[in-house]
Amino acid sequence: MIVLIILLIPFITGLLLLLVRNAVAVKRAALASSVVNFLLTFSLVFTVPVSGYTANWINFLGVEFALGYDGISLVMLLLTGLLFPFIIMTGMKRDQPQVSLLYALILFTQAALIGVFLAQNAFLFYVFWELTLIPLYFILLLWGGECRRNVTFKFFIYTLTGSLFLLFGIIFLYHLTPGMHTTDFSVFSKLNIPAGTQVWLFWVLFIAFAIKMPVFPFHTWQPSTYTIAPTQGVMILAGVMTKMGIYGALRFLFPIIPLGVVYWQNTVIILSLIGVIYASVIAFRQTNIIRLIAFSSMAHISLMVAAMFVLNYYALQGLLFQVLSHGVTIVALFYIVMLIEEKTATLQLPQMGGIKLQAPNMAILFLMVVLGSVALPLTAGFVGEFLIITGLFHQSIWFALFGGITMILGAIYMLYAYQRVMLGDKKPALGTITDLSRHDYFLLIPLITIIFGLGIYPQPVFDLVEASVKSMQDLLLPLAGSLPALPQ
Amino acid sequence: MVDPIPYINLSWLVPAFPLLGFLVTGLANKHLKHNLAGIIASVMVVLSFAVSVSLFFILRSSGQEAVTVTLFNWIAIGGMNIPFAFLIDHLSLTMMLIVTGVGALIHIYSIGYMHDDERVNSFFAQMNLFTFSMLLLVMGANYLVLFIGWEGVGLCSYLLIGFWFKNPAYNYAARKAFVINRIGDLGFILGIILIFFTFKSVTFSEVFSQAASFHAGSPVITLITILLLVGAIGKSAQIPLFTWLPDAMAGPTPVSALIHAATMVTAGIYMIARSSILYNLAPITLNIIILIGLATALIAALIGLKQNDIKKVLAYSTVSQLGYMFLALGLGAYSAGVFHVTTHAFFKALLFLGAGSVIHAMGGEQDIRKMGGLRKKMPLTYFTFLTATLAISGIPPFSGFFSKDLILSKAFEHNIILYILALGGALLTCFYMFRLLFLVFFGEKRLAGAHPHESPKVMTVPLLILSALSVFGGFLNIPSLFGGDSRFSTFLQSTVQTNASEELSHSTETGLILGSLLLLALIIVYAYRLFVSKAVVPAKDGESMPLFSKLIYNKFYFDEIYTAVFEKPFGFLSDFFYHKIENTVLDPAVDSIGQVTEHAGTLLRRLQKGNMSFYLFAMVAGILLFIIFILIV
Repeated sequence: MIVLIILLIPFITGLLLLLVRNAVAVKRAALASSVVNFLLTFSLVFTVPVSGYTANWINFLGVEFALGYDGISLVMLLLTGLLFPFIIMTGMKRDQPQVSLLYALILFTQAALIGVFLAQNAFLFYVFWELTLIPLYFILLLWGGECRRNVTFKFFIYTLTGSLFLLFGIIFLYHLTPGMHTTDFSVFSKLNIPAGTQVWLFWVLFIAFAIKMPVFPFHTWQPSTYTIAPTQGVMILAGVMTKMGIYGALRFLFPIIPLGVVYWQNTVIILSLIGVIYASVIAFRQTNIIRLIAFSSMAHISLMVAAMFVLNYYALQGLLFQVLSHGVTIVALFYIVMLIEEKTATLQLPQMGGIKLQAPNMAILFLMVVLGSVALPLTAGFVGEFLIITGLFHQSIWFALFGGITMILGAIYMLYAYQRVMLGDKKPALGTITDLSRHDYFLLIPLITIIFGLGIYPQPVFDLVEASVKSMQDLLLPLAGSLPALPQ
Repeated sequence: MVDPIPYINLSWLVPAFPLLGFLVTGLANKHLKHNLAGIIASVMVVLSFAVSVSLFFILRSSGQEAVTVTLFNWIAIGGMNIPFAFLIDHLSLTMMLIVTGVGALIHIYSIGYMHDDERVNSFFAQMNLFTFSMLLLVMGANYLVLFIGWEGVGLCSYLLIGFWFKNPAYNYAARKAFVINRIGDLGFILGIILIFFTFKSVTFSEVFSQAASFHAGSPVITLITILLLVGAIGKSAQIPLFTWLPDAMAGPTPVSALIHAATMVTAGIYMIARSSILYNLAPITLNIIILIGLATALIAALIGLKQNDIKKVLAYSTVSQLGYMFLALGLGAYSAGVFHVTTHAFFKALLFLGAGSVIHAMGGEQDIRKMGGLRKKMPLTYFTFLTATLAISGIPPFSGFFSKDLILSKAFEHNIILYILALGGALLTCFYMFRLLFLVFFGEKRLAGAHPHESPKVMTVPLLILSALSVFGGFLNIPSLFGGDSRFSTFLQSTVQTNASEELSHSTETGLILGSLLLLALIIVYAYRLFVSKAVVPAKDGESMPLFSKLIYNKFYFDEIYTAVFEKPFGFLSDFFYHKIENTVLDPAVDSIGQVTEHAGTLLRRLQKGNMSFYLFAMVAGILLFIIFILIV
C-alpha cells in the first residue's frame, strides 16, 4: 500500500497546485510533498517483506495495475525521492513565471518516474515511461532558453521514436506468452525465447534505453537539450531520466533476453567505451559550461553502461552505486552552474575567471563537487568507478584501461572548467559577484555531505542491492561463463 | 593469537590531529586572526609527531613487529573485503616520523614565511589536509587505503601549487601536476585491481603471505609490479612523467619543501619498498626500475647544472635524488632507498627552507644570477644551507654520505658500469649544489637596491634543527665499515625484504669511498675557482651557448616535445570530434531521419496552442480517475 501512496502523492499534490495562485505556497507545498515522498520511500528500505500493490486493471488484455520493487528499483526510487526535494528547492528563492504550472509539471514528472520504477508489468512500465516525457516536454518548451522549440521538438521525437521500438518489442513479447496473454515481467522472464529471436529482439528493446541514457551514437539530442533546458529540467533529465534508461535495460534485457545480451555484450561494451572517450575528448574544448557538463555526464553514463554489460558482480554493484553518486553529483553541479550564470550572466568559459576572489566559498563548494565528479577517493564517485573498473578488468584489461582513461580525461576537462571559472585574475566585465547565500548552503551542503558520506561509508547501499544483484548474477551465471563465483 | 598491545588502537590519532586542524582552520577561516591558524596547524602536526613517537616506543616494548588497527569496514561485497585499517610496523613508523617530524618543522617555519599572505589561513588548512592525506598513505594497511592518501596528497599538491591562483601560469602548473599524476594513478589502480583478482585481497599482509606461492618471473606478478611502477613513476617524478615537478615550484616555498621534496614525492619509493616481496619476484621490473632511476638521476642532474632559478635547481636536484632512490629499489636494496628518503627529507627540506629564507630576504627574487654575497647578511641561513649542501653532496660524515654511499656500493656489487654512472651523477650533484651555494652566498652583491636581512627566529630555528638532522642523520645507519651495526636497515628488515647479496669487502669499500671523496674534492675546488675566484656568472637568457649547454639549459626540450606530441594533438582531436564527427556526421544524420516526422510534428504543435494548464489538468485528472476507478472496482 505504501507504494501506491508514494505514487499518488506527487500526482495529487501536482493537481492541487494547479488550483493555487500564491507562488510561495505552491513551492512550499511542492517541497513538502517531495520531502514526505522521500521519507516514505526511505521507509521502504526497512519494510520487510516487500510491500507491493496489485489491482485489476485492463482485464481483457490480462494487464494488472501491479506495483512492487526489488533492490534495483529501490535504488532508483531512493534517487528519485532524494533528488526531487533539491530540484524543487532550486527554484525556491527565484522568480519564475507560471509557478503553479511549473511545479505541477515537476511533480507529474516525479510521479511518472516513480511509476516506471514500481511497475511490475511491461504495459504499465510503458505507460509511465511515456508519461515522463509529456510534463518534461512542457517544462523544456515553456521555461527553456534560446532555440527551445526546435531543440525540444528534436528531443521529443528522438525519444519517442525509441519508445516505439520498445512498444513493438513489448507487443511481440506479449504474444509469446502462453495461454491467457499477459505483460508481467515475471512471465516474460520465463519465456525461453529462442536464441535467434533474442539476437534481433535485443536491439528492438535496447534502442529506447540507449537513447535515454544515452549511448554513443544515439546521444546527439542530449547536449543541445541540456543547454536549453531550465536548471530544474536539466536536473531531472541528467539526474534521474538517464537512470531510467539504465533501469529499463536492467529490467527488460537481462531477465527476458539474456542470450541476446550475451550475444551483443562486447558490441555494447565497445560502443560504450567509445562513448566514454569520445565524450571526454569533446568535453575538453567546449566553451559553454553546460555543454561541457553534458558531455562529461555522457562519459560517466557510458562507463555505467559498459559496467552493466560486463555481467559481473562487482560491476553491477558499482553501477547501482554510481546511479546514486552520479545523480547527486550532477544535480549539485548544475545548481552551481545556475548560480554562476545568475552571477555572471554568461555560460561561456572564456568570459569567466577570478570568481574565487569575490566568492571564495562558492569556489570551495564547486571544487568539492568537481572532486566528486572526477572520482577522488572518499567521494562516492570513486567507490562506484573503482568497482566498475574492477568489473571491466575481469572481462579484459583493455576494457579497464579504456574505461579508466576517464580518470585522466575527467581530471583534464573538469579542472580546466573549474580553473576557467573560479581562478585567474578578476575580470572587470563580470562586475561585482556575491558569494553564496544561506539558501545556497542549505541546498549544497547536504548534497556534498552525501557525496562524501557515501564515499566514506558506502556499505549501506551495497547491502541494499546485494540480494537483487545476486539474483541477477545467478540468472546470468550459466550464460556468461566468465562470471566469478560468489563466495557463499 | 598475539597479545593486544595497550594504546596501539589510538594510532588513529596520528592522522586525526591534522584532519582536525584542517577542519578548524578551514571552517573558521574568516575568524582566525594573525598567526592563530598557523599555530593551530603546527600544534596539530606536533601532536601527531608526539603520538607517532609514542607508537614507536609502544611497538618496540611490545616485542611485536607489526599491528593492524581496523577502524571500520569500508567496502565489503561479495569476495571483496577492504577495511579502513592502519598498519603500524617499522616501515610505516619510519615514514610517519618523517612526515610528522619534518612536517611540523615546515609548518612552524611557514608561520614566519607566510606571515604577510592574505590567504594564510587557507594555506595552513591545506597544509594540514596534506599531512592528513600523507599519513593515510603511509599508514594504510591495504593498497586501497594507501590509494586514498595517494590521491589525497595529489589533490593537496594541486591546491598548493596553484595557491596563488591569480596567476594563470601557476594554475596551469597545478593542473599539469594533477593530470600527470592521474596518468600514473590509472596504472596504480589497475595494479591494485589485478592484485585483488590474483590474491583475492588487497591487504598487505594477506597479499605478501600468498606471494610466496608464486615463482620469480611469474607473468602476473610482473604485470602487477609494472602497473604499480607506473603509479610510482608519476608520483615520484621519474622519467617520463617528471616534467610536472619543476613546474610545481610555482607553489609557496614551504610547499616545495614539504610536498615536493621531503614527503609526497617519496610516496612512490615507499609504495615499492612496501611491495618489496612482489618486486623481488619480478626481476624484469627491477631492471626497468634501475634503468629509469639511473636515467632520471643523470638527466635531472645535467639539467640542474644550467638552471638559474634557485628553486628550479633544487627541483631538478630532487628529481635526480629520487632517481637514486629508484636505483636503490631496482637493485633490491629497499632499505637503502628508504634510508635515502629519510636523509633526503632532512637535507632537501632544509635546502628548500633555506632557499625560502633567501627568497624572503631578497623580496621575492629567485634568480641566482642576481644574488651573491648573502653569507654575511644571513649567517644562519648560510650556515644551515652549507650543511645541507655538504650532506647532499655526500661528504662524510654528513647524512647524505651514508645513504648515498650505501646505494653506490650496491650499484658496485651489481655492475661496475652502473657504479661509474651513479658516481658520475653524484659528482654532477656536488657541482650544481656548490655552484648554487657559491653564487648565492659568496662573491659580491649583484642586485642593487636589495637589502637582504636574516629571517626571524620562527624560520631560523627550524632551519637549525633540520641542519642538525642533516649533519647527524646518517648515524642512524652506520655501516660495519665504520664499526656501526646498520641499525636503520636492520630496523626495516622485518618489513622490507632485501634481496640478499654479497657484502663488499672492507678494503674494496674503503677504496671506493676514498676515490669518490677525491673526485668530490676536485669538483668543489673547481666550482670555487669558477664561481668565487673568477666570479663567473651564468649567461643571461638568450645569450648564445654551445649546443650541449643549450640542450641542458632548455631541459632537453621535454616540455616542448610533450606539448607537440600530446597536448596539441589532444586539442586537435577534441575539435575534430566535435566539429567533424558530432556536428557534421552524427547530428545531421539524425536530423535527416527526423525530417520525415517533422511534417507530422508541425501538425502536432498546432494542437498545443491552447490553454496549457487546462490540457494538463484534464490529462492528469483523467489518469487519476482511471486509477481511482480501478481501485474501487
